[in-house]
Amino acid sequence: MGETTDLVIEARKLTKIFQDFWGRPKVCAVNEIDLEVRRGELFGLLGPNGSGKSTTIKMILGLLHPTTGLLTVLGQSPRNVAVKSKIGFMPEESYLYKYLTAAEILDFYASLYGLSGNRKKERVSALIAQVGLDAARNRPIGEFSKGMARRVGLAQCLLNDPDLILLDEPTSGLDPLACREVKDILLGLVRRGKTILICSHHLADMQDICDRVAILMNGKVCAEGAVKELLINPGTLRLSLESPSRESLSAILDYIEKETGTRPLVDHTGRTLESVFIETVKQRNSIP
Amino acid sequence: MRLGRITAIAQLTVREAVRSRLLLSLGTFLVAGLIGLPLLIAGDNTLAGQIQIILNYTLTYATAILTATTLWTSCGGVSTEIQDRRLYLVLTKPLHRYELWVGKWLGIAGLNAALLILTGFIIGAMTWHAIRNSTDDPVTKRAVCEQFLMARETLLPVTPDWSRLIETNTWRLMQSGQAPRGMTANMIRTKLLEELNNQRFTIPPGKEIRFAYEIAARETGDHDLILNYKLESTRPERAPVAARWLIGYDPAQVFQVNVTNYPGVPCTLPISSHVVNRPGTLAITYQRLDSGSQATLMMAMNNPGPELRVASGSFSMNLARGLLVILCKLAFLAALGLVAGCLLSTPVAVFTAFFIMILLASAGYVESVATSGVFYVPHEGPELVQTGLDRLILHLFKAFSVMTRPLIQLDPVPLLTDGRIVGWDLVLRAMAWLAGLYTAITALIGIMLFNRRELG
Repeated sequence: MGETTDLVIEARKLTKIFQDFWGRPKVCAVNEIDLEVRRGELFGLLGPNGSGKSTTIKMILGLLHPTTGLLTVLGQSPRNVAVKSKIGFMPEESYLYKYLTAAEILDFYASLYGLSGNRKKERVSALIAQVGLDAARNRPIGEFSKGMARRVGLAQCLLNDPDLILLDEPTSGLDPLACREVKDILLGLVRRGKTILICSHHLADMQDICDRVAILMNGKVCAEGAVKELLINPGTLRLSLESPSRESLSAILDYIEKETGTRPLVDHTGRTLESVFIETVKQRNSIP
Repeated sequence: MRLGRITAIAQLTVREAVRSRLLLSLGTFLVAGLIGLPLLIAGDNTLAGQIQIILNYTLTYATAILTATTLWTSCGGVSTEIQDRRLYLVLTKPLHRYELWVGKWLGIAGLNAALLILTGFIIGAMTWHAIRNSTDDPVTKRAVCEQFLMARETLLPVTPDWSRLIETNTWRLMQSGQAPRGMTANMIRTKLLEELNNQRFTIPPGKEIRFAYEIAARETGDHDLILNYKLESTRPERAPVAARWLIGYDPAQVFQVNVTNYPGVPCTLPISSHVVNRPGTLAITYQRLDSGSQATLMMAMNNPGPELRVASGSFSMNLARGLLVILCKLAFLAALGLVAGCLLSTPVAVFTAFFIMILLASAGYVESVATSGVFYVPHEGPELVQTGLDRLILHLFKAFSVMTRPLIQLDPVPLLTDGRIVGWDLVLRAMAWLAGLYTAITALIGIMLFNRRELG
C-alpha cells in the first residue's frame, strides 16, 4: 500500500494510437507500456527517435489523451488542471515568447501558476540568479543563445517549486560547465524529495544522474531498472589500487592468476572528458 | 474563473501586439487613412459635404481596417502559437483552456478599444479643424454643426388610428361580396392600410398636407430642430415645386417658410428653437402653391412621413456610443476568429477569416435575397421555375440573414454620418446581442471543441 501511494507516475497498458482525418488508426506511438516513477527518484526515459518518449511525456502533461490504458500523475488524471500546479516541464526546444525578456517571461509563467506580488518577484529573481542569467534578465529571449534560452526554460520549470519535474533533453545545447550545473541542480532537487523524469539522448548524462531508466523502442518498454543494476556485467570485477609498486603489482597479479587461472588485465583508471574540461576551465578561471 | 491568469494572457496578447510592432503599424495605417481619405475624396466644396465625408469615410475605413485586423490577429494568434508550440508550454501550466480563450479575447478587445479611442480623437480633431478653417460665414458653420455635429432624436408624425375604419370597410366588402376573388379578410385589411397610407402622403396641386408631432419637454431647448423630407413626383419630369411650410402649436400663430422643392432630392428645413419652445402637439403643414401643375406629389421620406430631428445630446458622446457599438461588433468577430484559430492551422484559419469577412460584407445582399426570395430576375426569356436546390439555398440565405441581421441593424455609421442619435438602447442591444449572446454562443462552441483538441 505504501509503495502505491509513493507512485508519482503510474501507467498501466498505456497506449496511444494516432488517427488520420477519418478516424482510422495511423500510427501506434505508445503500445501498452507499464511505467512506475516513484517519489524522490530521478527516472530516465531513453530510446531512439520515434520510440514514443515525447508522446509519453505529452500524455503525462495532458496535451495528448491516451487511446487506452490507465495513466495517473500524482494520483490524478493528467487532464486535471489542478495537478499541473505541482508539475514543472521543460520542453526540448525553448518554446518561449521571443519578444519577452527573461524576467518578463518568468513573470508571465509565475502568474499562470497563481503567484503574485512580492512572492512572484522574489521567486523570479531567485531563479534568474540560480540559472546564472542575472546580467541578461532584461534582454529579449530572441537575442539569447540556445544555451541561455535553455536556462530560462529550466527556470520557468522550477517557478512553482514542483513535486514532479519533466525534462525533455535538459542538457541539449548547454556547454559542459552549464551541463554540470544543471545536473547539480537536478541532483539537489532530488535530495529535496522532488521527483524527476528525464527524456534524453545524452546517455552519459543519464548514467551520471539517473536512479532508474526505461528504454523505449517502437512504443514498447524494452528494458527497465536501476542504472547500477543495468550497468553491471555479471562475473566481472574491477580492482583499483592507489599507485602500487612494480613488485607489489606483479605479486598480486601472480597470486590472482594462480587462484583463478586467468591473468587479469591491467590499465590506468581513466577520467571522463567532462571532468577534465570542468577542471581545466575552473583552473583557468581561478588565475587572476 | 481565475482573473490573475486571464489578465496575464490578456496582457501577453497586448504586449505581443506592441512588441511585434503590429499596434504601431496598424496605428500608423489607421491614422494615415483617417487623415488622408477625406483629403483624397472630392466633395461638393461645401462645409456640410466635407463634414459628411469625414464622418462617413473615416468611420467606414476604421471599421473595415479593424474588422480585418481583428479577424487576422484572432485567427492567426492562437493557430501560430499552436504551430510554433509556444502554447504547449502555456498549457502545461495550471490554466484552463477557457481561461486562455477569454484572456486572448480580452486582449484583442483591449487593442480594439485603444484603436477606436484613437479613431474617435482623430475624427473629433478633423471635424473641429474643418469647421475652424472653413471660409463660410458663422451662420452656415452653425447650421452645419446643428445638422451633423449633434445627436438628434427622430420624431415621426402621429399615425392616425385607422383600425375602426379598416375593420368596417373589410366587413362591408366581405359581406357584400365585393371583395376580389381569392382575397382573405387579412389581405383586404393590409390592402386598405396601404391605400390609406398612400392617400395620407399624397399632395395634389394646390392642396396641403398636415402632420402632427408630439413634443416632449426634454425635446425643447436652445438648438434648432431639423425637418427632413423628400418628395416624389407622379410625372417623369422633375420640375421644381413652390410650397410653403406652416409650423406651430396654434393655428393663429404659425411660423411660415416658403420653399422650392425638387422631386427626388432630400431636403432639410431648420426650425428655430424659438418656434418649438414648449411641450405639446406641434402641427406642421405642407402647402403646395403651384396650383397650375399637373403632377401629384408624395412624401417619400421613409413611409412614416417627414422626420423631425430634435437635439438630444452632444456629438462627442454620440461618437463615443457609436464607437462602443463598433467595439461590440469587433468583439464578436474576435470570438469568431479565435474559434477558427483554436481549431484550424494558420493558413486554414486565415482563409476562414477572409471567408467570414466576405460573408459579412455580403450580408446586405443576402438579406435582400432572403426577403425578396430571388437572386436575379432576367428581363426576357421564359419564366423561372424554383427548383428544390433553389429552395434549399434560399433557406440557407434566410438562416444566414437571421444570424447577421444584428450586424446590419446595429450599424452606427449611417446614424453618426447623418447627425442622428446613437442611443443607449442601440448600445445596450449591441452589448446584449453581439458582445453578449453571439460571443457567448461562439465562445461556448469554440471552447468545447478546443478542450477536445489534442496538441501533439
